[in-house]
Amino acid sequence: MKIQILGTGCAKCIKLTENAEKAAKELGVDFEIEKITDINKIMDLGVMMTPGLAIDGEVKSVGKVLSPEEIKKIISK
Amino acid sequence: MTNEKDRCCETSTQDTCCSGAGVKTLILACSGGSNVGQISNQIMIELDKDGTGNAYCLSGIGAAMSGFIESAKAARTILIDGCPVSCGKKVFEKYGIKPSDYFIVTELGIEKTHDFSKLKEETDKVLNTLKTKI
Repeated sequence: MKIQILGTGCAKCIKLTENAEKAAKELGVDFEIEKITDINKIMDLGVMMTPGLAIDGEVKSVGKVLSPEEIKKIISK
Repeated sequence: MTNEKDRCCETSTQDTCCSGAGVKTLILACSGGSNVGQISNQIMIELDKDGTGNAYCLSGIGAAMSGFIESAKAARTILIDGCPVSCGKKVFEKYGIKPSDYFIVTELGIEKTHDFSKLKEETDKVLNTLKTKI
C-alpha cells in the first residue's frame, strides 16, 4: 500500500505523516510513504487545500490532519 | 466538519506551508453549451478575479477524480448552473456534495438561447445581482 502525503512540508503535513505511519503500523499492513511536495503535482490531483492524504493514488482527505484512528478506518475500507 | 485549527495551506495562493489558512471558497460553473451555460462560466471567472474565491473544475468532479471531489467536500462552494436542467447540481449530488451557495442563471432573468453574441452584457446584467446574494 502506498500512502501519499500531499503538502509542501509544514508542521501539519508532518503530523499527518506521523499519524498515517502509526495507523498503518498498528494495522500491520505493508506500506510505503510517499511525500508529494510539488505544489503543481498537488494541484494536478485537484487538491486545493493541504495537507492531503491519498492511498494508492486515490485522494481520501483534503485540508485536515486526520488522527491515526481516522486513517485506520480509511485504510481498512 | 473540519475544525479550522486542523486546516493547513491553500495550495493555489501560497507555495510555502503553513499559515493556518481558513476554509477555501471554490467556484464551479456548468459551463454548458448555451448562452446561460457560458454566462455561468464567465461569472465564475469574474468572481475569481474579484477575489470571491477560486475558479474550480466541475468536470474534475464529473470525471470522478478523487482529489476534486474531496476538495469540493472540504471547501465552501459556490455552484452556478445555467439552466434548470441543473447538471452542476446533479454532479454534486452524485458525489454527496452540497453547495454552500447555488444559483441558476435563468432564474436571474436571462432567457436560455444559443445566441452567444450578447454574453458580456448578459453577464454584466446578472453579476451584481448574484454578488449581493453570496
